[in-house]
Order: sequence, then C-alpha cells, then structure tokens
Amino acid sequence: MRKTYLIKTYLIISGLLASFAANAAPNPEMILVCYPGGAVNAKDANAAMSSMLRVVERVGQWQENSFTSFFTSKADECKKQMADKHPKFAITSLGLYLELRSRHNLLPVVQPKIKGQTSERYRVMVQKDKYQNLDQLKGKALGGTVLEEQSFISKIVFAGKYDLAGFALKPSNQAIRALRSLDKGELDAVILNEQQFNGLASLQMSTPLVPIFTSEEIPLMGVVANSTTTTAEDRLRFGQALEGMCADNEGKKLCDLFGVEAFTTVDAAMFAPMVKLWTNGK
Amino acid sequence: MNKLKPLFTISLLAFLSSCALFQKDYVQFDETLNCPEQSTANLLAAQNQLGRLSNSDTLACALTALRKTEDVTLRRSAFASRLCLHLAERETDQNKRERLADEGVGFAETALKLGGTADGEVHYYLAANLGLEVREHITLAINNLARLENELKQAVALSPDIDDGGPLRVLGMLYLKAPAWPNGIGDRDKALDFLARAVNNHPKHPLNHLFYAQALWDDEGNEATVNRVKAEFAIGEKLLVEGNWGYSKEVWKKEFDEFSKEFGQSESLDK
Repeated sequence: MRKTYLIKTYLIISGLLASFAANAAPNPEMILVCYPGGAVNAKDANAAMSSMLRVVERVGQWQENSFTSFFTSKADECKKQMADKHPKFAITSLGLYLELRSRHNLLPVVQPKIKGQTSERYRVMVQKDKYQNLDQLKGKALGGTVLEEQSFISKIVFAGKYDLAGFALKPSNQAIRALRSLDKGELDAVILNEQQFNGLASLQMSTPLVPIFTSEEIPLMGVVANSTTTTAEDRLRFGQALEGMCADNEGKKLCDLFGVEAFTTVDAAMFAPMVKLWTNGK
Repeated sequence: MNKLKPLFTISLLAFLSSCALFQKDYVQFDETLNCPEQSTANLLAAQNQLGRLSNSDTLACALTALRKTEDVTLRRSAFASRLCLHLAERETDQNKRERLADEGVGFAETALKLGGTADGEVHYYLAANLGLEVREHITLAINNLARLENELKQAVALSPDIDDGGPLRVLGMLYLKAPAWPNGIGDRDKALDFLARAVNNHPKHPLNHLFYAQALWDDEGNEATVNRVKAEFAIGEKLLVEGNWGYSKEVWKKEFDEFSKEFGQSESLDK
C-alpha cells in the first residue's frame, strides 16, 4: 500500500495542483488521482480533495474552483481516464506511472519528503521464528494492500528476483486487517510499505513480527505531468508552488497533518533505475 | 520537564481557542416567537418530551430558556446539548448550524464540569455536536478525531442504547470515515462491529441499517455482500418512510438518497 500510504500525500498534492490553474480558469482543470486498491471511497476522497483545493486556491489567490478532481481506486478506471481525458497533471502510484509513462508521456514533477526521505523500503513481515526467508514462503499466504499492483511488486519491490506466482496472494485494502490476520495465523506473511512498517509500534500484536525481506530504496511518487500538453514553464511553476506549500502558514497545517515535511522537485536520476527495472523486469 | 512545556502550551492554546468559540455568540432566534416564560420545573418536565418530533420553534424557546438557567440539574444534563443538536441538524445555513453545534458542545462540556461525567448522554451529545461542527473542515475534523473517539467510547460504555443505539451508530461511522491506520483511527473491522451491534440491538432505527449498509459497501465485498448492502438499505428505507421521525426524516432521506446515488453509480461502473 503505497496505496494507503500515499492517499494523504495524494490529497495534499492534488490541492497544490491548483497552482497550475494560473488565473481564474473558466473551466476547471481536472486532476486525476489514482489510488489503486485504496481503502477510501471516491465520494470521501473527492470531498477531502475539494477541501484542500479550496484552501490552496485561497492561499495562492487563484479563483475558487479553478480545479476539480477525479478520484479512483481502480487501476483500470485510472487508465481509462488517462486515455479519455488526457489530464495535464495526475497523482499516481509509482506502478501506474511506470506502466503509463510511455503511452501518456508522463514526467515526474514533484515528490513528497517524509521524515527527511524521498524514498522508502518495502518489507515482508512474518511471525518471529516462523520463516527465515522468502523461499520458505513459497506457496504460503501473502497478504497486504500493495498486492493490488502485482507487477510493481514483482518488478520493482522484488526487483525481478521472486515470482509472485509462487505465493498464495491475499490482497486487501486494509493493512490493519491483513496484520490482524497475520497475528492470528490466517496469513503467513504481509508486505508493508515504509509508513505501515513505521506504524507497527502502535499496534498490539500477540506475536512479535519481523521482516524477512527488505527492498532497496524506492522513490516516493508524487505528481506527474503530461510532457506534451504542459510546457517546461508549467512544470517548473508547478514544482515551485508545491515546494512553497509547506512553508506557507495554512499550507503547513495540511503538511503537518499528513506528516509531509516538504515537497521537492523530482530528481530524474532517482526514477531511472525504476524505469530500467520495469522495462527489463518479469 | 522543559520538554513538556511546548506541549502544554500548545494544548492550552488549543483549549483556549476552542473555548473562544463558546462565547455568547449564540444563534439568535426569531423575536416573534413569543416564547413563554419557562420555569425550571417546566424545563425539567419537558426534558423527555422535546426531541426530533418537536417543532423548531418549541425547541428554540426551550433552548433560549436553558441559556439563562442556573439550575445545576439542568446544566449537568445533556438536555440543552441535545436541543442544540436537533436544531443544528435542521439548520440549512452552515454558519448557524456550526454555531448551534458549537453551543451544544459547550453545554455538554459544562455538564461534564458539573459532574455529569457518568451520564452517557452528555458524552454522546458532545460528540454528536462536535462532529457536526467540524465535519466541513478537514483539518479541524482530523484534529478532533481522538476527542470524538474518546467521548463516543465513554457513551458506548455508559449508555449504548440511547437514541436507538446512537453511540454505537456514531462511533461505527467514525471508524468508517476516519483516515485508516497508520494515518488515523479509521478501522473497518471496528466500524462493522459497532454498526452490526447497532443493527442487531436497535433494528427499528433507519440510520442503523443505512450506516451498516455503507460499512458493508466500503468493505472488501463479493456478490453476497452486495446483496446484503441492498437488503440493509431496503430495510432502512422502509423504516424511514413508514416511521414517524419528525423533522429528522427529511435530513435522513438526503443521506439515503446520497448513498443510493453513490451505490448505483458504482454498481453501473462495475458492469
């Protein structure tokens, strides 16, 4: 669940996208927000994003309602919207970006920074002493929210070294439920993103959980732009607006609320290895 | 100890800023109401009679009297907070609605200070008013999640059956709508648990069925779940149409309509 993890970040970023609206767009620009497998329904998500868009519009002195959002937790719906509406900016998971980048000329524009990091690691958790490595999990029940994007897990998180087909996959849209199942022995393992891993300390489990796999650093995903329908100036302006967000009085409250320290312009070099893994992956 | 200072300062500021809302910035009611003078005895007697079936003028008159009362029994009860909630729920103007709800929070806080801590109704109406007050303000809402949960848990522990399972119903919805772990207190398992209890223990309240349907719908479901959603929705809708829910009927119908629309749209997307 870059999924659960990134929803808050997505929402903040989607609010910030209002900066692209420049002055008073008569027709709101649609921001596509794709949150595959997320535990948030579209109505609630759009309501939350609308609140944030209004705040950003007010803070940035743009006309109210310059932007609107379209939220989906379904990857197929995201792809359809991308193909039909050709949004200039979108907020996607890293997996969707990698899948759609060529077809829709997507460029990463900005990333969130959380706890000083613009990247994260994924971990496969098991009950202590039950398994020692991923090979022992072959044929066993593996749960987690991130399993909604299986190609991403295989190619990027496992870097092509482990085939997900070897596990009995139990995707879930709720990390806490997957962890309860792991605690009760209904699942053998659960795969977590960084934010979920860091949240484990707040849960009371009857059995200690330990990681048997930790991924390499994987960049946090933020906003992507269509490089053919936006100019370099658009993207620069956008990035700068986002970078200023958490320094703004009102914007800081939103950033604090969701644990985002800042937004930072993307270092394209961070994504190059991901693109390579994706392209060469299996 | 010094490390605690900033925390204390922040807490104090938060407390004072919330108190600032509770100054005498009351919603003023129509002066042509000609409210009769109400004695303490009258108000005490009216406690169990005034509710969602009462017209707004009657509630406004009672609230006006309660604003002036110094009677400890009345001030320690949830009565005034409950009236604020009924009036707020009917109010279409957002500013007035939030001020009424805010006043309801203030009345409940006073009740707690006067020793009403063992009264589940006080905790319940405090939370219900607070939820109504902050629901349109995302940062305020999220900042108050822990307090809402705490008040509702106390209401569930003390008086789970008031308002046809209101504490169970509202706490269930809080767990359904709040940001999920690890970002927040949201928890679908808990939501389903509390809302199932509300439906089972209080099957005659339409919102119990609607909210349970929403929780089922939001959950990871299959065809059987969808059928269950439809069934719960139908039961709730029937109860709403056929029951005498007074001034709440219109408000609740909007909730049913909104969910029906969402549910219908999602179903057609799935096809």
